[in-house]
Amino acid sequence: MGVITFILMGSSLAFPAVALYALWWAGREGQLRHSEKAALLPFDEQEPVGQMTDVVLNRPSAPAGSLKS
Amino acid sequence: MAALSPRGTATSDARAQLAEIDESCRGSVLLFFLSGMAWLLAGSVFALIASYKLHAPDFLGDFAWLTFGRIRTAHLNAVIYGFSAEISVGVILWMMCRLCRVPLMAQSVINLAALLWNFGLTIGIIGILAGDTTGVEYLELPKYCTPILFLAFALIAVWTIVIFRFRREKHLYVSQWYILAAVLWFPWLYSTAQLLLIMDPARGAVQAAVNWWFAHNVLGLWFTPVGLASIYYFLPKVIGRPIHSYYLSVLGFWTLALFYNWNGFHHLVGGPFPAWMITISIVASVMMVIPVVATAINHHFTMVGHFGKMRHSPTLRFIFIGAIAYTASSLQGVLSSVRWFSETAHFTHHTVAHAHWGMYAFFTMTMFGAMYYILPRITQREWPSDGLISLHFWTTLVGIAMYVLPLSLGGWFQGKAMLDPQIPFLEVVKITLPYLKIRTVSGLLLTLGHVAFFVNIAWLLVRTFGPYRAPEPMILAGVGTGNAPVGK
Amino acid sequence: MNYGPLLFLGILFTLAASWTGLVVMPTKQLGALQPDLNTNTSVVFPKPLPGEAAQGRELYRSLGCNYCHTQQVRREGFGSDIARGWGKRGSVARDYIYDRPVFLGSSRTGPDLTNIGERQPSYEWHYSHLYNPQTTSKGSVMPPYAFLFELRPIGPEGPSTNSVKLGGEFAPKAGYEVLPKPEAKQLVEYLRSLKSSVELPEAPLPKSE
Repeated sequence: MGVITFILMGSSLAFPAVALYALWWAGREGQLRHSEKAALLPFDEQEPVGQMTDVVLNRPSAPAGSLKS
Repeated sequence: MAALSPRGTATSDARAQLAEIDESCRGSVLLFFLSGMAWLLAGSVFALIASYKLHAPDFLGDFAWLTFGRIRTAHLNAVIYGFSAEISVGVILWMMCRLCRVPLMAQSVINLAALLWNFGLTIGIIGILAGDTTGVEYLELPKYCTPILFLAFALIAVWTIVIFRFRREKHLYVSQWYILAAVLWFPWLYSTAQLLLIMDPARGAVQAAVNWWFAHNVLGLWFTPVGLASIYYFLPKVIGRPIHSYYLSVLGFWTLALFYNWNGFHHLVGGPFPAWMITISIVASVMMVIPVVATAINHHFTMVGHFGKMRHSPTLRFIFIGAIAYTASSLQGVLSSVRWFSETAHFTHHTVAHAHWGMYAFFTMTMFGAMYYILPRITQREWPSDGLISLHFWTTLVGIAMYVLPLSLGGWFQGKAMLDPQIPFLEVVKITLPYLKIRTVSGLLLTLGHVAFFVNIAWLLVRTFGPYRAPEPMILAGVGTGNAPVGK
Repeated sequence: MNYGPLLFLGILFTLAASWTGLVVMPTKQLGALQPDLNTNTSVVFPKPLPGEAAQGRELYRSLGCNYCHTQQVRREGFGSDIARGWGKRGSVARDYIYDRPVFLGSSRTGPDLTNIGERQPSYEWHYSHLYNPQTTSKGSVMPPYAFLFELRPIGPEGPSTNSVKLGGEFAPKAGYEVLPKPEAKQLVEYLRSLKSSVELPEAPLPKSE
């Protein structure tokens, strides 16, 4: 039982440690820098930041018919 | 394959690319969405029968294939492996293509997967009703259909990775992290569980351990990542504002990956297991506070100042409810895992309420939101009926609140009464009855909402493929959606 | 900048961790448990189920009984399982070594069944209860399993010895009797086999009996 507990505790520490190391490595390599830039990935020139893209209900301006022209 | 050649990011290209991607996804994503919706309707009917039986046990009592133990199981498998899984695949494929900036390639592979999945699942659900259930919670589908499901899922997972491999956008968004994790985790989970529980069952109590490792992880490592990936994509996209803190989203991802998959054994508190097993899961469950709070801060701070936009966007309405429910149900889950709480709430309807909090209020609402965004874009048609959208939103919102809140409370009272050995068991049953009846009413509301949504989708498709061709939608063209003060 | 390898590494390692901890370790620790031979009473426990009870267990699975009934007794001091008579001692992993699948259960819409064979040893009670739970437990939400029984005209030699005794509103029409099908017999044999009265070294029975 002692061996099993040892392996268990060891692995439960080791595997997350590797994952944490990977995270740290990513940070050191600069992969987590420019985080603001990554946050912009869903947007582009056609649908830039600042533009709402889903206006379906209670349309603000002219009646729906004219918008569809 | 065209996808092999890298493309420039000239401004004029971008727009065409979005429309091109949407169009490439049309057939496959529609296939998954429509069959998913069919499973949702079937699952709703199963659910209503099961719920009604729990306070009127003689109802349809003469049919073995409709007995509570089977119809409840048919409900669970239809909504988990039918509705939730299939909608997930549709959403994943579309999001992955958009974020990778590539059209969906070789759609026939995905279509084949959809057909296989539906075929396997149909056999499986019939098998459950006929009495072939494996008897293992969340893995009831009989062993003659699971290899088909596994094959279908393997195709989907491989194809998602292929799309990723041929991406034209080099940088990764957090949604892609979650999607990749989900498609890599699930086959591992599913094959291990199938092997150790169904094909060659492990000895005794080990089965229960593997069972809950799987059952909790299928929620935490498949549905949760898909739901979060969707929130991380659609929330910023709809309101037109980047996520509050990208750093927090990365932290949330890694801590979820670290802690969530250790949670399963909190379903075994008080069970016949060595203490270390349970304790390790309780500790991991409590650690889940970190990713949950990180994600919550991120979602809700992104939303601040944009609440008015919910007036216009059905996607935002559903996603917003989903994000709130994620925070709430996760924190409630943390609480449920703790021993003193579990002593009362374990084995009661409280757990059932919690499951619906997570799978419906968080996951299903989020998927509804995603579908409201994706469907008009892949069909190039607008939603035919605003009224049906509102009906769908309000019935499901009121319905799930009416389900979760009373049943959580009722389950707690049930647990408290059960702890007192002086109260006869049939008295405990009596305590739960009012809450079970409310649950049936809420089920009716939810079903009404599902039907409204289904009708709206069918109508949209009639417009798409039918003789009547509606004009190009304004949602896509951006007319009236620009920087005009919409809502706020 | 290429996240790919990093992501794949992290994703696989994190799941591998819990896989080791929650699947491999329990298999190692609990997967090799053997039945216990009590040297004082020379009782071997647990034992595989005899034929008819084993068939009944398959029905228990097929009908989904495990969604409303647990088969696990929580130890003294955690819940009121023992005080309710659901078992004499807390359940331990060794109790389940022959179970495929294990019916620990996750919900107590109905009572725990670990000890049902001791609590209700009578065939008569079980048949009547399965035919329609209201006959023995008024107000129960358990569904009726009348489809495990058959309604037959009483033969010239009078009612059969194993006909189910049903009174009041549940009584069959005149000249008929309700008989358990073989499935009902199997299910009852299984339920009667469920007993939690044998002690194990790691789970002794309470001293004051």
